[in-house]
Amino acid sequence: MRRAVFLGALLLAGCARSATPQADFAQTPSRHAFTYDRSNYVETESGRPGGTLRVSVASDTGTLDLQTIAATNPKWLGRLISDNLVYLDDKGNITPWLAKSWDISPDGKTYTFHLRRDVTFSDGTPFDAEAVRANLDRVRDPKTRAAMTTAYIAPYRSGRVVDRYTFEAQLSEPYTPFLNVLAQSWLGMLSPAVLKKSPAEIASHPIGSGPYVVASYRRQEGIAFTKRRDYAWAPDFLRHKGPAYIDRIEVGFVPEALIRYVSLASGQYQLTIDAPPQNAREIRANPELVLGNRVNLGNPTRAITFNVSRAPFDDTAVRQAFALAIDRTGIARMSGFGEFAPTQAFLSANTPYADLDAKTGGPDLERAGRLLDRAGWTGRDEDGYRTRGAQRLEATVLLTETAMLSPVVVALQADVKRIGFKLDIEQVTTPQLTDRRKRNAYQALGPGYWHTNTPDGLFIVYHGKQISTPAFIGQNTTMLHDARLDALLSAARANRDPAELARLYAAAQERLVTLMPAVPLYENHTLIAYRRSLRGMVYDTSHNMPFLTTAWLAESSS
Amino acid sequence: MNLPRFLAGRLFTGAIVLWGAATLTFIMMHLTSGDTAIAILGGPDAMPTAEQIAAVRAEYGLDRPFLIQYGDWLWRLLHGDLGQSYRLRIPVSEAIGDQIWPTLQLGLTSAVLAFVLAIASATLTVRRKRGWIGKLASVSELVLVAMPVFVIGIALLLVFAFYFPVLPVANAPGLAGLVLPALTLALPMAATLAQVLRQELEDVLEQPFILTARARGLSDLGTRFGHALRHALMPIITLAGFFLAVLIAGAAITESLFSRPGVGRLLVDASNTTDVPVVIGITIVSALFYVIASIAVDLVGAIVDPRTVAR
Repeated sequence: MRRAVFLGALLLAGCARSATPQADFAQTPSRHAFTYDRSNYVETESGRPGGTLRVSVASDTGTLDLQTIAATNPKWLGRLISDNLVYLDDKGNITPWLAKSWDISPDGKTYTFHLRRDVTFSDGTPFDAEAVRANLDRVRDPKTRAAMTTAYIAPYRSGRVVDRYTFEAQLSEPYTPFLNVLAQSWLGMLSPAVLKKSPAEIASHPIGSGPYVVASYRRQEGIAFTKRRDYAWAPDFLRHKGPAYIDRIEVGFVPEALIRYVSLASGQYQLTIDAPPQNAREIRANPELVLGNRVNLGNPTRAITFNVSRAPFDDTAVRQAFALAIDRTGIARMSGFGEFAPTQAFLSANTPYADLDAKTGGPDLERAGRLLDRAGWTGRDEDGYRTRGAQRLEATVLLTETAMLSPVVVALQADVKRIGFKLDIEQVTTPQLTDRRKRNAYQALGPGYWHTNTPDGLFIVYHGKQISTPAFIGQNTTMLHDARLDALLSAARANRDPAELARLYAAAQERLVTLMPAVPLYENHTLIAYRRSLRGMVYDTSHNMPFLTTAWLAESSS
Repeated sequence: MNLPRFLAGRLFTGAIVLWGAATLTFIMMHLTSGDTAIAILGGPDAMPTAEQIAAVRAEYGLDRPFLIQYGDWLWRLLHGDLGQSYRLRIPVSEAIGDQIWPTLQLGLTSAVLAFVLAIASATLTVRRKRGWIGKLASVSELVLVAMPVFVIGIALLLVFAFYFPVLPVANAPGLAGLVLPALTLALPMAATLAQVLRQELEDVLEQPFILTARARGLSDLGTRFGHALRHALMPIITLAGFFLAVLIAGAAITESLFSRPGVGRLLVDASNTTDVPVVIGITIVSALFYVIASIAVDLVGAIVDPRTVAR
């Protein structure tokens, strides 16, 4: 009797829940599920000007000089402070922003930008070709210490001011992702007048041409922005004319996830940039709140990155078997509370040229077992782990030390145990990790992702040229050096023909599935949450983060 | 009593403590921080070029021998220069200066709160162990001493900011925002203090002069507050140094939990990002506070009880 009543209550609860909008990506997604409708990206109604928006974010980056950092959390801040030369549309095509148009020479090495003439930085300095050159040169100057952005524009050799509003960039080699990276927040244009000043000043008071100006920045506490009333150069694609609607934006740093949820629910904040996945269900069920779940472009979250130059992961069969043992659906549901989509592809579902048919496959324990048998791992020790001769099938994954052990890796440990693989976990500090990576002294690395707005993210993470050398620190921690893959990714970098790019990237993803240098796990998600009184919310096409120029408040700042 | 000589001695040992703390932190950070140049350039996720690494090494003198780096650093420290933060790119003194007031505010408020709570609890419940109020006090003290600071904080937050929303949850300026964090830090301190104080009071109340006071017709409460408490307070003052350490450790947790700015959070972030100058700077400033506090405690003790100077 009692059980029946219980069951009934559960069923009712289930019904109630399915009545509210609910994300649960139990199945491997179709591409369609994450190519968001254009209305996510363009202004569809004009808003009411005025009011103060209070936003909570998890952490302070310590600097507002985005050109110099690699952190991903402040990319939405870049859209407030600065503008970029170009912007992407919702399909990933390049559209005008501060550059009205551009020409690319047939050899792909000369880019000529024709700039807008009506743009000023908030200190009054006009935006012109000289400003573009000052910015690109500043990024590239080793003294600026802009490690990531320098890598992004690595082929940039020199800039020439053709006339006041025409800028010519000379590249050392054809580099198709050039325009894509110029659309990213980190490469927003800053006032050349302020670039000449001390880096400390830019860190606290960056001067850009964006819709908002930094009014105050109190470290660990918050940032206040006021709107520029003379702003009139939002990207064409956004379909927004004139200044932003909201007068003032106050950002507060709220490190605790629970507090970010509670303070949003209580109305102390109207938007949180880092919505906690564990509260996603409550947020979706709350009629006053909206949860925004977007997949980031670039490479999805990897469960593990193998070092293919070290045993046992130097054997492709072992890597294949490992990947086949992983229950992505379970891990994604556990980490994302139904909000994360498992994936088997090497590019995010919404990245241009993502090939979702190039799948790693699995979970398939039988096939994994057959692969290991054929690789000679046929014995079993007393603990049930596979052996080959006197050797046990075992490897250690390196993790950065955190207060709580990554549940993903613990789940991996259990998953691969099913095929007789012993996965050990070693926690190290960030400096130790840097050192071990430099010395190539690791078998595998823990979960990671690389976000960029182009399929060239594959080049950054898997190309042989991206392996660290004494003179260069690269992101290819797999140590993979595959001539065929390298040729495909290099050719894609130099190619601008969509049909050809589709062929090259499809072949590269096919090749990655065969080589399996890392195991894609789930998409890299951005979860935001806001109160319904915040209207006109759209997302930035490069980063899938809020682009607040079009946002407005329905009632006066509550 | 030779106060100037006593002071000079204490200042000298204080300086040695400061130098020792600074040197130990400097050595430890150098042993554990790996390639500082890469840390400065953004850690393992950055992709610095050889030129960038070389520029950073030259700028910070990281390519020089350890002893030279240490000597140079000590020389600048003597001139009050704590160096530049790698991550924030501002002088360390500015970074700490920005954050120290909220931490002091939190620390002082919770210290006062802890003393008031402890004195009230101990004085009112001493010698009433068997009554329900005495039992309640010792049980809650035990629980509070055993509970980690963040659990107390989350419990307070859930009760007073979520279920009964009378106080702000996060990042609130002014007094209202100070109540919960100060209470979080004060409660475990108050619990320890109350237990020590109660024990002292038990002993003092056995003394003959209490009997004399009673015989003069003083009320029970009057003897407790007027006579016994003064004598029992001495060991509590000596504990001040210990509480300073508790405050500094607790501040880091409390500040992140309640989204308050402060030195504790700055230290956590700096350690996570290998921001060596900030970590060393905060260590020196904390050691300085510790030295000042312990000199002040000794001084108060010396004035109250001249016998201590002879030691």
